[in-house]
Amino acid sequence: MNGGADGFMRMRTLQVVVLLVFGILAARLCYLQLFDTKYDELAKGNALRREVLYPPRGEVYDRNGEFLVQSRECYDLMVVARDMDRRGFDTALLCSVVGISRDKLERELRKAASYPRAPHMITNYISKEEKLRFDECNFRGFYTVYRTVRQYPRKIGGNLLGYVGEVNASILRRYPDYQMGEYVGVSGVESAYEPELRGRKGVRIEEKDAHGAIKGSYMEGRFDTVPIPGKAIVCTIDARLQLFAEELMKGKVGAAVAIEPSTGEILMMVSSPTYDPDELVGRERGNNYVRIMNDPRHPLFNRAVSARYPPGSTFKIVQGLIGMQEGVLKPSDRYPCNGGYHVGRLSMKCHEHPSPLDLRFAVSTSCNAYFCYVFRDILDNPKYGSVKEGFDVWKEYVESFGFGRKLGSDFLNETNGYVPDRAFYDRRYRGSWNSLTVLSLAIGQGELGCTPLQMANLAAIVANRGYYYIPHIVRHVEGQDSLDRRFYEKHYTKVDPKYFEPIVEGMWSSVNVDGSSRGAQLPGLDVCGKTGTAQNPRGRDHSTFLSFAPRDNPKIAISVYVENGGWGASAALPIASLIEEYYLTDTIRRPWLVEHIKNMNIYYPVYDK
Amino acid sequence: MRIFDGVDRWTVLLYLLIVAAGCLSIFSASYDPEAADPFSFDHFYMKQIVWVGFAFVVGLVVLLLDDRFYHMLAYPAYIGGLLLLLLALAVGKEVNGAKAWFEFGSFRVQPVEFAKIATALALARVMSEYSFSISRPGDLMKVGMVICIPLGIIILQNDTGSGIVLCSFLFVLYREGLNKWLCIPVLLIAALFIFSFLLTPLTLLVVLILVCTLSEVMMNGMWRSRVVFLAGIGLTAGVLFAVAALIAPGAIDFYHALLIATLLAVVFALVYALRANLRNIYIMLAIFVGSLVFLPTTGYIFESILKEHQQNRILSFLGLRSDPLGADYNVNQAKIAIGSGGLFGKGLLQGTQIKYGFVPERHTDFIFCTVGEEWGFVGTMTVLALFCLLILRLMRMGERQEEPFGRIYCYSVAAILLFHVLVNVGMTIGLMPVMGIPLPFMSYGGSSLIAFTILVFIAIRLDASTRQFSWTNHY
Repeated sequence: MNGGADGFMRMRTLQVVVLLVFGILAARLCYLQLFDTKYDELAKGNALRREVLYPPRGEVYDRNGEFLVQSRECYDLMVVARDMDRRGFDTALLCSVVGISRDKLERELRKAASYPRAPHMITNYISKEEKLRFDECNFRGFYTVYRTVRQYPRKIGGNLLGYVGEVNASILRRYPDYQMGEYVGVSGVESAYEPELRGRKGVRIEEKDAHGAIKGSYMEGRFDTVPIPGKAIVCTIDARLQLFAEELMKGKVGAAVAIEPSTGEILMMVSSPTYDPDELVGRERGNNYVRIMNDPRHPLFNRAVSARYPPGSTFKIVQGLIGMQEGVLKPSDRYPCNGGYHVGRLSMKCHEHPSPLDLRFAVSTSCNAYFCYVFRDILDNPKYGSVKEGFDVWKEYVESFGFGRKLGSDFLNETNGYVPDRAFYDRRYRGSWNSLTVLSLAIGQGELGCTPLQMANLAAIVANRGYYYIPHIVRHVEGQDSLDRRFYEKHYTKVDPKYFEPIVEGMWSSVNVDGSSRGAQLPGLDVCGKTGTAQNPRGRDHSTFLSFAPRDNPKIAISVYVENGGWGASAALPIASLIEEYYLTDTIRRPWLVEHIKNMNIYYPVYDK
Repeated sequence: MRIFDGVDRWTVLLYLLIVAAGCLSIFSASYDPEAADPFSFDHFYMKQIVWVGFAFVVGLVVLLLDDRFYHMLAYPAYIGGLLLLLLALAVGKEVNGAKAWFEFGSFRVQPVEFAKIATALALARVMSEYSFSISRPGDLMKVGMVICIPLGIIILQNDTGSGIVLCSFLFVLYREGLNKWLCIPVLLIAALFIFSFLLTPLTLLVVLILVCTLSEVMMNGMWRSRVVFLAGIGLTAGVLFAVAALIAPGAIDFYHALLIATLLAVVFALVYALRANLRNIYIMLAIFVGSLVFLPTTGYIFESILKEHQQNRILSFLGLRSDPLGADYNVNQAKIAIGSGGLFGKGLLQGTQIKYGFVPERHTDFIFCTVGEEWGFVGTMTVLALFCLLILRLMRMGERQEEPFGRIYCYSVAAILLFHVLVNVGMTIGLMPVMGIPLPFMSYGGSSLIAFTILVFIAIRLDASTRQFSWTNHY
C-alpha cells in the first residue's frame, strides 16, 4: 500500500493537491493585487485626507475703484464621523464655541453618521474669532475649512450684483466640476461672471493614521495644488449714483437705468424695491431669503431687465423716426389735433395744445393725434400693398431699436420684452384687422412690452443719433485685456442717423422751450427728454421718463419707470432729472425736490392687497 | 562533522529565506520612526531577532540528536503534550477567548504548538508499527484516537482554529493508503458540519444517506443492490408517513419517518455486512451514525460554544452578514492593504495601511498583509513560492525515507505547513474565515517560531540519517 505504484500515484495526487492550493491562493492574490483597482482607492480613502483649499472669491469694484463687494474670511465647521472621539466629547462646549444650537449639532451629527468617512459640514460662517477659540479646544474629528463670504460695504445693488448661494442638485447636474457645499453665483453679476469670480480650488493631501491623526503631507506635497483666487471685476456702475438713485426710488415700484451712450456702460441700474445684499449672506440667509421671497412687491425680481412695461409716449420717438425713414413723414408735416384723433367711432384723446402742429412740437408736447397719423401712414403705405405687410416692416424697424428681443447684455435673466407680430393679431382678430385696430401701438400702448433697460437703450440710441453699444455692467476683468467683442461694436438701427436731429430737437424743446418735460431743465446742461404716461388696467397710470444730457456729446442716457406714478412729469421726470444733475455736476441744487421725491409714497393696490 | 552529512541543504535554505522574510516583515510592521532607540529590545523586530537566534540553537540541538531518539520519544512526547494541553485547560491564561496559553512574565507559550509535533510523532509511530494496516478498522480507530484526543482537548480550550489544524493529518492518511472513498465522505461531512446550521435537518439527513451509500458503492461495487437499498429506505419512510398520517394525523412528520426508516436500514446493513463479510461497511456505518449523532449538535455548538466574534467571522465569511466596521473590519482592512500593493508594492516602510495601523494584528496573524502591501504581487508570489517549495521538498524527503516512520512524519510536517499557509493566507484575502492561526516562521512570536523550527528540523534529521545510512551502505 505505502510503496510501489499505488504510493507513487498517491504522492502525485497529493503534489497536485498542494499545487492546487497554492494555485488558488495565487489566483486570488493576482485578482486582488493586479486586477481589482478598488482596493487602491480604498487604501487612499483610509490613509489620505484630501483637504480642499477654497480660493477667495473675486472682489467687485465700481467704476471709480470703490468696493461694491468684498470677500471676508470665514470658516466652515466640518466633521468626519468615523474620526470622532468614540467616548463622546463636550457637545455643550462645541455649541457655545461655534455658536450653534444643540439640536442642530445633533441633527448634523446624525446625518454625518450615515456616511462615516465623508467630511460633513456641521455649520458655516464661523468668524475668525470663533475659529481661533475652536482650534484651542481640539475636538477630534472636527476641523475648519477656510472660506470667504461676500460683504457689501455700501449695501447697494442687490439685484444688480446678485447673490451667492450654495451649490444645489440641479447645479451639480449641469456643472459636474462643482461639489456640494461650494458657493456659486445665483443671480446678477455673481452669476454672469461666475467663472471669473470663482477662482480655482486647491487641494492638500495629507496622510493620517488609523486614529485620524495627521501624519504629514502625502509624497512631499507632490499632488498638492495652490488655490487660485477669483479675479477682481470692475463694474461700470457708479456706486454713489447707484446709492442716490436707490434712495430716490425707495417707496416706489419700478426701475431706473442710466447708460453712458458713448460706451454702452451701465452707470446705474435700480430695480425697486430692492433689498440689502448683506441679508443674503450668513446664517440668517435662509430666513431672510424666505422673508424677501414672500414680500408681495417681489424685491428679488429685477425689474430693470426682466419687467415688461408699456413704454407709453416715449415710444412716439420711435414712430417719428420710422415715419421719416419710410418717407411718409417730413419734419415739417403738420397734422391737426382737436383734442384727439377721431375716426368714426374710434377716438384717441389728447390734451389741450395748439393745433395744427409739426413734428418738433408734436414730440415736445407729446401729441397723440400726430403720431396716430404717422403710425397709420407707415402701416397703410401703398408701397407694401396691405396693412399686414406694412406691419411687418414696422416690426422690423422696432426690433432694430432693441425692442422685442434680448439686447445681449452681460445680464443673464434679461427678458425679450414683447413686440406683437402679424400672427398674434391674426389670431386675436381672426385675420381681419387694420391699422385702426392696432392704433394704440402708435402711442406705445397696447401689447407692447419693454424693459427699462431697452428704454434706456432707446435714450442712448437717440443720444448717439442712430446707434448703440450693447449695454453692459462690467468694465474690466482682472487679467483680461478686453471684454467680449460684442460690447465694442456699434449697432445701428434701420433708421438713418440724419433723421435723428429733428427728434433730438423736439426732445430738447420739450425740456427747454415749450414741452411736457419742463421740470427736467438744468441750466447749462442742455437736457433732452420725453415723458411718458402709460395707461394700465390696474390703478393709476405708470409714469416714465426718457432723457439724455447734454444735447451735444451726451454723457448720460436715462430711463426711469415708476409704476402707478401718474403723469410722466410727476414721478419719473424729477427722479431722472436729479440723477442726471448729480451725475453731471456732482451736486444737488434742489434739496427740496429730493425730499419731496423721497417722501413720495405711492399706493400699490396690486401688491399691497 | 558527521552530524551535518546528509542534511538537506535546500530545506535549510528555504527555511532561512522564509525566516528572513518574516523578520523583514515584522520590522516593517512594527518600526516606529519616532522611537528614541531603534535598537531597543522593546521593539517587536528586535525581540524577533532574539527569537530567531534562539530558534537556530534549538534547530541545531534537534540536528545533534539521534534519529532513533525521536522514534523512542514519540509516545512520551505525545502523553506529555496531552498533559500540557490539559494543564493549559485547567490553569492556563485566556487570550482572545481561548484558554490555551501559559504565561511566564511577559512571555507566553501556546502548548498546542508543541502538541502538534507530539501528535505528528505519535501518528508516525502508530502507523509505522509492523502489523499496522490502514484498511483494518481497528487500526484506523487507533489512528482516529491519536488525532481526536488532542483535538477534543483543544476544542474544549475554545481554540477551534488551532484544533482544526489536526484535521490536516487526513493528508497523511491518504498518502498511507486510506481509501479515497473514505477521504471524500469525511471531507464532505466536514463541509456539512460547517454548513449544517444553514440546512434543514431533513436535507442534512438525505445528503448524509446519499453520501455514505454512494461512497460505499464506490468501495464495494454492486450498484443495483445499493439502489434497491436506497429505494427501500425511501419506500419505508413513505409508507410509515402515510400510515401514521391515517392513524394519527400530524403525530409524525416526514423527517421522523425517514429517521425511523434509516435506523431500520442501519440494522439491516449491519446484518448484511456481517453475512457478506464486507468490513468497510462497518467504517461507513460508524461514520454515518457518528455524523447522525453529532450533526444536530453543530447548531448547538454554533450557538453556545462558539463565541460571538467567532460566529460573526463565520457568518461574514459565508456572506450572510456584512459589518465593515465591526466583525469584518480585520478582513476588510487586510484585503485593502494587500490589494493596494499592486505589482511591485509600495516599498519597504512605505505601506500606509501597515504603517498607520489600519491592519490589526499586522505583525502576528496578518503579517502576510505587510508582504502584500509593501512588496506587491511579486512579494506575495515569492513568499508563496518559498512555502510551496518547502512543502514539496518535505514530501520529497518523505518519499525517499526507508522507514515508514520518517515518511509519515515528513508528510505530517508538510500537511501542517500546508494547512497553516492555506488558512492564514486565505483569511487575509477573504478565502477563509478568520481563525487565529499564525503564518509559519513569519508571524511574530517565539513559541510558534521555535515549534515550527523543531517540527521541520526533526524531519531534516530523520532524512539526514536515512541518507547517511544509505551512503555508508554504498561505500
